[in-house]
Amino acid sequence: MNEVTTILDRAGLLTPLQREHWAMAWISTVDHKRIGILYMLTALFFFVIGGIEAMLIRLQLAVPHNALLAPDTYNMVFTMHGTTMIFLVAMPALFGLANYLVPLQIGARDMAFPRLNAFSFWLVPFGGLLLHFSFLAGGAPAVGWFAYAPLSETPYSSQVGVDYWALALLVLGIGSVGTSINLIATVLTQRAKSMTLRRLPLFSWMIFVNSFLVILALPVLNAALVMLLIDRLLGAHFFLPLGGGSAIMWQHIFWAFGHPEVYIVAIPAFGILSEVIPVFARKPIFGYEFVAGSTVAIAFLSLLVWAHHMFTVGLGHTVDLFFVASSMLIAIPTGVKVLAWSATLVGGRIRLDTPMLFCVAALVQFLLAGLTGISLAAAALDWQTKNSYYLVAHFHFVFVGLIVFAILGALHYWFPKMSGRMLSERLGKWTFWLMTIGFNLTFITQHFLGLAGMPRRIYTYADLPGWGWMNLVSTVGAFVMAAASLLFVWNLAASLLRGKPAGDNPWNAWTLEWAATSPPPVDNFRRLPPIRNRRPLWDDANPDRPDPMVGSKGKADTFAPEKNKTAIILFIISEAAFFAVLILGYLFFNATPQPGPSSHDLNLLKTGIFSLCLFASSFTIWRSERSLSQGRHRAMQSWLAATILLGVVFIGGQGLEYWTLFKGGVSVGSNLFSTTFFTLTGFHGLHVCVGLIALLIVLGLTLAGDFKRSPSPALKAVGLYWHFVDLVWVVVFSTIYLLPHFR
Amino acid sequence: MTTGQFLISGWTWSGAFLAVGAVAAALYITMFGVRRRLGYFAAAIAVSVVALISPINALADGYLFSAHMLQHILLLLIVPALLLLSLPRSVSLAVRPRALGHPLVGWIAGVGAMWFWHVPALCDAAVSSRPVHALQTISLLVLGSVFWRQILAPREKERLSPPGAVLYLFSACITCGVLGIIITLSPVTVCSIYTMQPVDRFGLLQTIRLGWGMTPERDQQIGGLLMWVPMCLIYLSAIIAQIARWFAEPVVPATQTT
Repeated sequence: MNEVTTILDRAGLLTPLQREHWAMAWISTVDHKRIGILYMLTALFFFVIGGIEAMLIRLQLAVPHNALLAPDTYNMVFTMHGTTMIFLVAMPALFGLANYLVPLQIGARDMAFPRLNAFSFWLVPFGGLLLHFSFLAGGAPAVGWFAYAPLSETPYSSQVGVDYWALALLVLGIGSVGTSINLIATVLTQRAKSMTLRRLPLFSWMIFVNSFLVILALPVLNAALVMLLIDRLLGAHFFLPLGGGSAIMWQHIFWAFGHPEVYIVAIPAFGILSEVIPVFARKPIFGYEFVAGSTVAIAFLSLLVWAHHMFTVGLGHTVDLFFVASSMLIAIPTGVKVLAWSATLVGGRIRLDTPMLFCVAALVQFLLAGLTGISLAAAALDWQTKNSYYLVAHFHFVFVGLIVFAILGALHYWFPKMSGRMLSERLGKWTFWLMTIGFNLTFITQHFLGLAGMPRRIYTYADLPGWGWMNLVSTVGAFVMAAASLLFVWNLAASLLRGKPAGDNPWNAWTLEWAATSPPPVDNFRRLPPIRNRRPLWDDANPDRPDPMVGSKGKADTFAPEKNKTAIILFIISEAAFFAVLILGYLFFNATPQPGPSSHDLNLLKTGIFSLCLFASSFTIWRSERSLSQGRHRAMQSWLAATILLGVVFIGGQGLEYWTLFKGGVSVGSNLFSTTFFTLTGFHGLHVCVGLIALLIVLGLTLAGDFKRSPSPALKAVGLYWHFVDLVWVVVFSTIYLLPHFR
Repeated sequence: MTTGQFLISGWTWSGAFLAVGAVAAALYITMFGVRRRLGYFAAAIAVSVVALISPINALADGYLFSAHMLQHILLLLIVPALLLLSLPRSVSLAVRPRALGHPLVGWIAGVGAMWFWHVPALCDAAVSSRPVHALQTISLLVLGSVFWRQILAPREKERLSPPGAVLYLFSACITCGVLGIIITLSPVTVCSIYTMQPVDRFGLLQTIRLGWGMTPERDQQIGGLLMWVPMCLIYLSAIIAQIARWFAEPVVPATQTT
């Protein structure tokens, strides 16, 4: 224990008061910097676990006909490797960096919602434990990180592994959405006055854009997961062709999330490159506007092109053609970025310190990943290489070659800020070279393995010409990478204890985080330098030749909405994405009539009356808000109580309807109609209940005398959410109850 | 009829279109004179000709759902945008009750026009009934203009701010894209009239079904995909233009401030 405190102490990470209760000080922290560090430590911990899994995979594949791992164990290990690396390493590491850096870069004291921030973080270790508990509960999932149906369904994976997998990803998904809402709200509402939107450092800008992608894409995965869980636990058949479901639907929904997910982890990496490369080239970034704008285009396109993951499914030439074209389009905005970074290097006075080395390698490797990506976007070539190690090599070039390298670059770059100490440059260079050699040995080789026909997702292989030695080379490379990782961890620990003091701005960088002390105090800044463009610290250091002023006039530049309202609107957007998937699922699965219960068994009149209660409650809550703004406290409470009453009546009505259906022998698994019906109305009902709880809390607060002096944004925020829940019911009611009468 | 013959004879000249086009051109030139923006106006007329006169119109008239979709996209998203761009910068498009100028109204007009006309019954009616078809054409042009006004109003003041415009276009695209996804993946037909034997006025049906390989299923898929992918690229282009507009503000040399 004492050693830990000394380390933290020497690194200046504890105030004297906290020394005694250091563990509690970290566990209960709501400081964005500590939460950021906790995120990164969690990512590091799971990186070790995922890395060990990777080593097991490579050991098993090192030689032909290997029997180190049993087939099922191999499947578990490779499923857990993929899931861990994406959800428990890449995302937490990038969220950690975002958490630590965004408030500092925009001159804020903390995130917009510090406690939401802590909550989102703690969901990560919780989700990680849930996922890994499956090892003890009867076997980890063995279905791949994509969990293709019907393999992931009960008849083919009867053990609980998949259930834990789905639950863990749900938990992690909720945490990711929470963090992203928080990040957007932070950028919008907590910026320093003169930090206009057009002056944002590129890392913060990209995190800002990226967070929109997270709140749109993760709910899609969440919807897929609840459908899978309903299949597995309640005997439904969403994705089981046996019961009329559609396994392809799983792929559609999964990749509708899965493709944006690639960009969710890639865009922050782009942000890192955009920060590090200019500083070490001693030049402002070339074409800030193009780098910033192309990010929006990439985010936008990424939501549209998921079907290129499904060329081999057999969607038909027509569909393939459209997605070949649109996927190739992504090369344009990413190409713009690569060119902008390269142009930044041209003519710069380049300093090849470790952070820069990692970022330049990331740039080169990402270029290669992009080129193989274009080849995979051509459907005809995709058919030949999709199920081979060529694809494995391609996406590892993205995930490791770009993202892990960028993260390592970021950690070497910002470690001095976080700890107040420099990392050892000598060890850093060793780490870099070992990592780069190991990585390229491992994955360049795999391109050729794939072209030589080695399929992916196999636990062993025959001794075919070339396969044996190439696999061995790949395994050797993987162990070189492992050595590099160990060296990095050693460097972290050693430098924390004995590193050179860093000073505030060791790299002579230009963004605001370097204006704070290293490590920054709890409230971040004693004094902010004037911000008139994108490089405030350059202006500060070179008053005789400052950068030109940018981005000051527009209404949008200084846009700073109320934070509660902002957050609830973002939450509503993400919930809308979730419901959109469920509603589309309902429409898809009920497009053709099927035997068994149908929407004609529902009582339109009864539900209609209960629905009116819910719609009326939108009016009452609006009245309640008005009363509050007019200062009529009593009236506000009465209208609020009326809202709750109407909501309860609606839920009662829904309960009654469910009861009638159950009595008539209709249950979740009866047929696809009942499955989709109960899923959609059930999740809506759940949201009504959540709304009711929120309303009850607000009512309780007003009865206790809150909101008397100042108008509270809480009622407004809850009111917005309540309107949303009503609006969803308008759509659900029309879809389920009204639409069949118009057929 | 072969494809080549159809491309020559498939033009559906309509007196109403020519009259409206001529009157519009005359009005435009008398009101604004001949100036650089005339190019946009000419482009708008040209695209209308492609949508309403060229063989695309003949195909959309009972033969192919995908041709109908192309027509729909051109009339809703391209022609109104070009018309707004053709207006001189001084023209005000302020509307009287201020509430009507709210971005939400524009958004609902643009997205609603997509969803409304693809309700199966209405989609069929627009093909089978001339008056409904005319109503559809006019409504697309009007609603499209209401939608684009928020982005392309001649006066800077009447437009959304660039980041607001990005959100406006982005959400509209997603909402229309969802409809495209439904149409593409749906196992049922959206406009059943296209699956029936059309009145084969051009004697083209053989060529379409066998020569082009256009089964009704593939036809609907292409229609949905047009909405899912290329249509979203129109919104994307507009988004990129908005970002360009945002960042285009001239930088002020540091010495001139403070």
